[in-house]
Amino acid sequence: MTELFFIAGLPLAGVAINYLVKNRLVQFSVSLVIAILHLAVSYAIFTGMVRPEENEFIRYDALSRLFLLVLSHVYFWVVLVSYSYLNRPALVNEEKSKLLYFMMLNLYLFANTLALISNHLGLFWVASEATTLSVAPLVYYYRDEESLEAMWKYLFLVSVGIAFAFIGFLFLSLSASGTVLSGHQLLISSYSHYATHLNPIWLKASFIFVFVGLSTKIGIAPMHPGDIDATSNAPSPAAALMSGSLRGTALLGLLRVYQIMIPTATADFARTIMIIGGMFSLFVAFVFMFKVVNYKRMLAYSSVEHLGLITLGIGTGGIAFVGAMLHVVYNSLTKVVLFLNAGNIHRTYRSRDVTSVWDVLNTMPWTGWLFLFGFFAIIAMPPFGIFFSELLIFQGLMTKPLLLAAVLFFLFFIFVGMSKTVFQMLYTAPPKNHKPLAVEKFDIVHAASFTLLLLLIVLGLFMPAQLYDTVIQISKDFGITL
Amino acid sequence: MENVLSILFCLTLLYLVVTSRIKTYVSILRMQGVLLSVIMIFPFIDHLSVHILIIPVMSFIIKTIVIPRFIDKIVIELDVKRIVEPSIQPFNFLLLTVASLSAIFVASHVLSGFTPIEPIPFASAFSAMITGIYLIIFRKKLIVHVVGFLILENGIFLFGTSVAAEMPTLVELGAMLDVFVVVFLMGIAINKISSTFAKQDVSVLGRLKD
Repeated sequence: MTELFFIAGLPLAGVAINYLVKNRLVQFSVSLVIAILHLAVSYAIFTGMVRPEENEFIRYDALSRLFLLVLSHVYFWVVLVSYSYLNRPALVNEEKSKLLYFMMLNLYLFANTLALISNHLGLFWVASEATTLSVAPLVYYYRDEESLEAMWKYLFLVSVGIAFAFIGFLFLSLSASGTVLSGHQLLISSYSHYATHLNPIWLKASFIFVFVGLSTKIGIAPMHPGDIDATSNAPSPAAALMSGSLRGTALLGLLRVYQIMIPTATADFARTIMIIGGMFSLFVAFVFMFKVVNYKRMLAYSSVEHLGLITLGIGTGGIAFVGAMLHVVYNSLTKVVLFLNAGNIHRTYRSRDVTSVWDVLNTMPWTGWLFLFGFFAIIAMPPFGIFFSELLIFQGLMTKPLLLAAVLFFLFFIFVGMSKTVFQMLYTAPPKNHKPLAVEKFDIVHAASFTLLLLLIVLGLFMPAQLYDTVIQISKDFGITL
Repeated sequence: MENVLSILFCLTLLYLVVTSRIKTYVSILRMQGVLLSVIMIFPFIDHLSVHILIIPVMSFIIKTIVIPRFIDKIVIELDVKRIVEPSIQPFNFLLLTVASLSAIFVASHVLSGFTPIEPIPFASAFSAMITGIYLIIFRKKLIVHVVGFLILENGIFLFGTSVAAEMPTLVELGAMLDVFVVVFLMGIAINKISSTFAKQDVSVLGRLKD
């Protein structure tokens, strides 16, 4: 149980410590130590150096290990830059929020970890609702009208969504009545073991409810608006967390229900629904990419696009499933780079409006270039990782040529719309008689972004054997033979 | 007996639809809390133990005492106009709800023919979920949305206790705690919304869009 202490016990202790201690440096140091230990232990679990103890409620299969590593990776970088982020001059009345900041981060880590390793769907539900609760105060960080509205909408929409997911889980337990599983707990492992006994009607109903409910959190259209508002109004580190790992946690819940359905005849039904959801998300991202004037909302729509692509890959199956799993990793890391640098731009120009941002490359060279390369990474330019994962998804889609054509069409125009916005920010000449902005200094955010971009290239070009093996193992768990 | 209690639960929903005072909403929440606790204890009435009583007692405390009190407090503090503002004619709303409820009852009767469910608790639970969602859709006040969310949760709760398999105590407690904290956070948000904007209904929430 030692590993459980490190990945779940310590963050919980971190919540308490951060509640009691008000000194920001102490809060930061404690949180950073917890983040480093979490990263070390989840890396050890991922590589198999540590064989964690499993029981009825907790399980570390390949899927959990991969998502856990992504979570602690994203979390580590976010905590690392948080101190410098909080020490900048305040934009509005955010001083009160700063006291809560690290406490909520630790709660976030605890809740997400618990959700990722839970083998009991009820436990997953409780933990994922707790992730919403930990994020809501972070969304309200700036304490202005927009963030208040964003927090309300996120809290309400996601809570109702999660309630729907709970109905789905109850349907799942209803599908077991009259079988060997009747009266048993909602354990993912035993349900997927006896999946063929389950009642297909309730199984289908369960999947629909879970899909619709968790979509609010994953950000699959048409349930995405709350997510967009929250991600774009949250402070950048929190936005990076939400885009980088929170959506993944919700996706894991969907994958778990899908995993149960795989051996049954209802698997095709689930796949069709996921393909529809994925395509619709791409469509929504395609439409709104031309409409957004707020660059953080643009990044949020890009998350809708990529999560849509991942859902599409999972629904397509085969090699596309492998691509989707890799895409989860790459997309998370890229989103951290983009959101952190977008935060820098927001600080300097004091606006999220594209038209009030100009000439970033010259005024903020570090941020500008890193943002540009982050943009290259997210639109799947080689040699960044996303290029390879998208290639795998396309390869899987080869069997459905019409779908592939539609996907490529959407992706191309998303690329056009996004690059229009990004290049406008980076290259527009400064307006006449503007006040000169302060020269930018090298910051820890830049160091983190640089490392992450490097990591994305390395992961893309030389895929580590462990990552490859884990992804292949996940595919096997999902009944995919390559 | 469970069926009788479920029907009573359903009747509170109809009362909820015809009334237009927030105070009544809160008393309906209280009533539902009591009903849910009794429904939970009922199957174990012959062999009660501390372990079995934990969840019903906690649910009684949270659903019947803490949350209604909290909502009452917000209503008084913010001086919310006590009458809810519907965006639909009350009679049409009643008609819609009755139609949906009848459809649910008929559907669950049909379903019970070929799947092992108990039609009346199943239908009552689903009616509560639907009514909660209607309340969120057809009322403008944010505080009423919170009540709608709670009705939805009550429906799920009834569904969980009377139809589906039992969850472990820890998970049930966690779920209840989560719902409580969500409502608490929503209350704080409504408080902030009323001090930031002049009103507390959905019309003030229109800034974020593309």
